Amino acid sequence: MTQVRAEMVANVWKVVAAEGDTVADGDTLVILESMKMEIPVIAEESGTLTQLAVAEGDVVQEGDLIAVIE
Amino acid sequence: MTILDNRPAVLTEPAHAGVPAATGSQERPAPAPAPAPAPAQPGTLTRDPHERLSALFDAGSLRLLLPADDSGTMAGTGLVDGLPVVAFASDPRVQGGAMGSAGCQHIVAAYDHAVASSAPIIGLWHSGGARLAEGVESLHAVGTVFAAMTRASGKVPQISVVLGAAAGGAAYGPALTDLVILSEQGRIFVTGPDVVRSVTGEDVDMESLGGPEPHSRRSGVVHIVTASDAEALGKARELVSLLGRQAPGADGQAAAAPAETDLSALLPESPRRAYDVRPLITGLLDEPGLELHPRWAPNIVTTLGRLRGQTVGVIANNPLRLGGCLDSTSAEKAARFVRMCDAFGVPLVVIVDVPGYLPGVGQEWDGVVRRGAKLLHAFAEASVPRVTLITRKSYGGAFIAMNSRALGATKVFAWPDAVLGVMGAVAAVRILKRRQLAAVPAEERHQLETELAAEHEKIAGGLPRAVDLGVIDEVVDPATTRQAIADAIAAAPGRRGQHGNIPL
Repeated sequence: MTQVRAEMVANVWKVVAAEGDTVADGDTLVILESMKMEIPVIAEESGTLTQLAVAEGDVVQEGDLIAVIE
Repeated sequence: MTILDNRPAVLTEPAHAGVPAATGSQERPAPAPAPAPAPAQPGTLTRDPHERLSALFDAGSLRLLLPADDSGTMAGTGLVDGLPVVAFASDPRVQGGAMGSAGCQHIVAAYDHAVASSAPIIGLWHSGGARLAEGVESLHAVGTVFAAMTRASGKVPQISVVLGAAAGGAAYGPALTDLVILSEQGRIFVTGPDVVRSVTGEDVDMESLGGPEPHSRRSGVVHIVTASDAEALGKARELVSLLGRQAPGADGQAAAAPAETDLSALLPESPRRAYDVRPLITGLLDEPGLELHPRWAPNIVTTLGRLRGQTVGVIANNPLRLGGCLDSTSAEKAARFVRMCDAFGVPLVVIVDVPGYLPGVGQEWDGVVRRGAKLLHAFAEASVPRVTLITRKSYGGAFIAMNSRALGATKVFAWPDAVLGVMGAVAAVRILKRRQLAAVPAEERHQLETELAAEHEKIAGGLPRAVDLGVIDEVVDPATTRQAIADAIAAAPGRRGQHGNIPL
């Protein structure tokens, strides 16, 4: 099980993946917005997305849980 | 330092004699040394140091520096694609490769020979650390190895290949060298799982503690992870050729450059959109380079490769990760790379697309000021030719840090659409014109903000002003950028820094 966490404070701009999706290493899960940049949150492991902890419009703090891949 | 405090306990771990073919079952005692076990995976060598050194060098070129003995270490000279190289290897069949007085003398002799003949040196590590039975004598001996490594630092390239467990003193050996390659069965740690468990209660196996995963993503100890021993030795050979034979054509490779292409086509339409910078680096180099630390601090990319046949070190912000922001870890990663390249006379190519330093309490407390300063120091100190290209944007402190004119860049190029400044124009006027903006009704604020931003852009910022100031030397066509960078490097005097390469 891998927890994907926010690496910086940001707004959740777009949620690309959905719970239950099969994801591969390198896939974009969520796109954050910070520093006037769209910043993709990337799966660093292949597996099934069992939890997606954010919704569009949310604000995440550094270290907040974004998704769980199993 | 408590490097060796735990030696006795660590040495009692049977797994330190690590069997290459064994996976996961590190608690099982190693079987008696047996040559060439049948179930070895493809690409896995036997544990015989003579065989490992032979596989590293060009066929038949290995010559031992000292006669083989039971010291647990073997040292020799040989050729890598015809280039003279010195190497040594632990013998994990003798006391788990533990380092005693005699074995350490082999390593120090190898170092003396490498420095005297200006040859790169490669260490093949598979060792439990200092020899328990020799007590303080072995501690002293391991210390002399560290001292020899430090004396050679910045003078000859030092590469470590970790093929099995490298614990305690044998962990700090590789860590003192310029580049560390970890094979699939390689493990690096100061104290093993048993000691960790007894002291902290953390239950962890050797692989999770010091295998490829933690060292490639978390610790930054390892520059390159490979799937097999053969691949690890292959990467060592590649690195030695890049660092030991830098001039165009010197390695027989034709400078047959790929045709110039419009590299800006690799950028996304929207300036806000993230993208992976690595294809751009590949497009700039003659052929794909060797990326160091690919998974650690991935918001900055450090790659060794060739540009028109000449070895160069590329440093690039990667907008795909953290928006390409500099942070404490990436600054440190880049700083060490810059200093290594400078010490060995490898010219630098710096590709800039950076929104700034990463804001946050975590960063400040993590020492982004102290660790970010290392990058400023590394660039400002560097004597090698170093050329900067600003592709899309460069803001704030990161503008300065990414090999700016002020830090002594050989040339600073920019693509025509590049934007630069202390911060974006809108953000700037929100601060500078705060009162003026507050004075107008909310519905007019956006309009005024846009006008003020345009005005600010004219006075304070932008590319034209940077060119006027000489902060940017030239706006270059993305289609001829490769040539412009190669020409600038070729025209600069080929100097190198006179300093060691402390593992920052």
